[in-house]
Amino acid sequence: MTDLEDLRQSIIEGDMKSTTSLVESALADGLEPGTILNDGMIAAMTEVGRRFEEGEYFVPEMLIAARAMQAGLKILKPKLVDSGTKPLGTVAIGTVKGDLHDIGKSLVAMMLEGAGFEIMDLGVDVPPEKFVEAIRGGAQVIAMSALLTTTMPNMRATVEAVKQAGLRDQSVIVIGGAPVTQAYANEIGADAYAPDASAAVRVTRSLIS
Amino acid sequence: MTIATATMTSKQRMLAALDGRLPDRLPVTTHHLMPYFLDKYMNGITDQAFFDYFDMDAYVWTVPHRHDPSQGEYPDPEQGEIGFLESRRVSTDDWRVYWEKLPGYEYQTVRYRFVTPKGTLSMVIQSNEHTAWVAEYLIKNKRDIDLLGEYMTAPKCDVEAVNRTAEEFGERGLVRGHICCFDVFGQPGCWQDAACLMKVEDLIYATYDDPEWVHELLKILQRRKMIYIQSLQGARFDIHELGGGSASSTVISPKIFEKFVAPYDKELIAAAHHAGQRITYHTCGGMMPLLELIADMGPDAMETFTPPGMGADVNLAEAKRRIGDRVCMIGGFDQFHYLIDCAPEDTRAEVRRCFEEAGANGRYILSPSDHFFDADPELIRAFADEARRCSYR
Repeated sequence: MTDLEDLRQSIIEGDMKSTTSLVESALADGLEPGTILNDGMIAAMTEVGRRFEEGEYFVPEMLIAARAMQAGLKILKPKLVDSGTKPLGTVAIGTVKGDLHDIGKSLVAMMLEGAGFEIMDLGVDVPPEKFVEAIRGGAQVIAMSALLTTTMPNMRATVEAVKQAGLRDQSVIVIGGAPVTQAYANEIGADAYAPDASAAVRVTRSLIS
Repeated sequence: MTIATATMTSKQRMLAALDGRLPDRLPVTTHHLMPYFLDKYMNGITDQAFFDYFDMDAYVWTVPHRHDPSQGEYPDPEQGEIGFLESRRVSTDDWRVYWEKLPGYEYQTVRYRFVTPKGTLSMVIQSNEHTAWVAEYLIKNKRDIDLLGEYMTAPKCDVEAVNRTAEEFGERGLVRGHICCFDVFGQPGCWQDAACLMKVEDLIYATYDDPEWVHELLKILQRRKMIYIQSLQGARFDIHELGGGSASSTVISPKIFEKFVAPYDKELIAAAHHAGQRITYHTCGGMMPLLELIADMGPDAMETFTPPGMGADVNLAEAKRRIGDRVCMIGGFDQFHYLIDCAPEDTRAEVRRCFEEAGANGRYILSPSDHFFDADPELIRAFADEARRCSYR
């Protein structure tokens, strides 16, 4: 019988090969896909986030853990659909118009996926109207990133575009990136600011619930 | 507080800080001056006019490259005018760089092709009025690095050109360069240069999946930089920049720094010292978990000490305590919040904070934490003026 503790450890250590084989064996053993996701994979990524916040893990450890988790999720996803397991919510994520720096954005996307969210990755250099379209397409959360002070104003432009489209009440807006602050989030009317990928998961989870 | 009479020239003042001697007052300078800023806020004045206008301690950037005809090298005939922070590329018949502007993109988009006898490499660079970035990375297959290893040219320093610049610049400030970067887009540090040739996430994954390949790539890049450094003998530079943005603790871990950054850049620093040159190690982003690892490589100075308010993590006082007696610290000033949209008194208070936390016993040069795009000239005036009041006498 597959021990979910082994699965958790393999994700925490970023062992992609072992993660995929443990997910396969857990399914073969008849474990519920939702149990594998929640008690194995999401629990592991929660621990990864904790280690990051404690300064024990850095971006590389998070990246390889998230990569292992994604490899496992690829096998698990069809079974989750079959079993009717729903994601926590759908997050449309991208760097704002003019900003091409995507390592932070990609890491946040992977961590959110690891926490049980469905991800619509809009990529880099995303204009406000694409975020608006994403809400119309079912995203409940807009997550925006900017690394440059010169592109930060496009966060405000996106918040305004969402308001003008009459969709502000249907969406939660989270922002982050090196020059971004809580004060800036307050100023432009975003719902939350996340200083790093782990915090992004925490605040998104709290806003969605 | 009054401005103390200066008893040192700008050059003497900054060299004193770099060499661990006490300056007359706090040296104050800035990092690269971006053309966007000079055009938008300063009517397009030159770097030197900027330093004169604000009475700041100046530097002049110069990285003149020389080709070696005895090795079959010649200046890249395709390069055209040398742009911002560019140097003259060196070609051979086995390493030719061709470029073409690609139409139909929102940003200026240029494809570069590196033609060698055994194949062609390519990368795409995009740019706007603020910055440039890689839109398509050069390394598409692992063995692409074989072409780099076999055919990529290594520039040498044009020592005479540097010394002419040093002679003309005199006591106005420092003559600053950087260790050579990859031909069309790169960074001075070996790891950081590699992160311009492939996506940094993929480079990080490769450190786990195929570390020997990463070392192979880093050795190729280091060899080229080493040739450049060895050619610096006799060049009257005051300081060279090494490092870059992709080896901060907000991108990599101390473990990766120890295994893949330090071994290569430490050797470059030792070679630079052997050639009579100083090195400042540039890290934009998180630094606190890496402070001792960087200082252990033996640079003369470290920068940028970016504070938490700008998305990094530096506690200037703690940094001073941990490495301040070993290297000169450059930076630490929060230009996002104190060079724009604040009162001059706030700017002055930020200068005092930096001086109090890092200025004790010298070995500190006040500077914004890296370059900036938007800044209020009146606040820059307050920044420079308050620094001149921070006296060591």
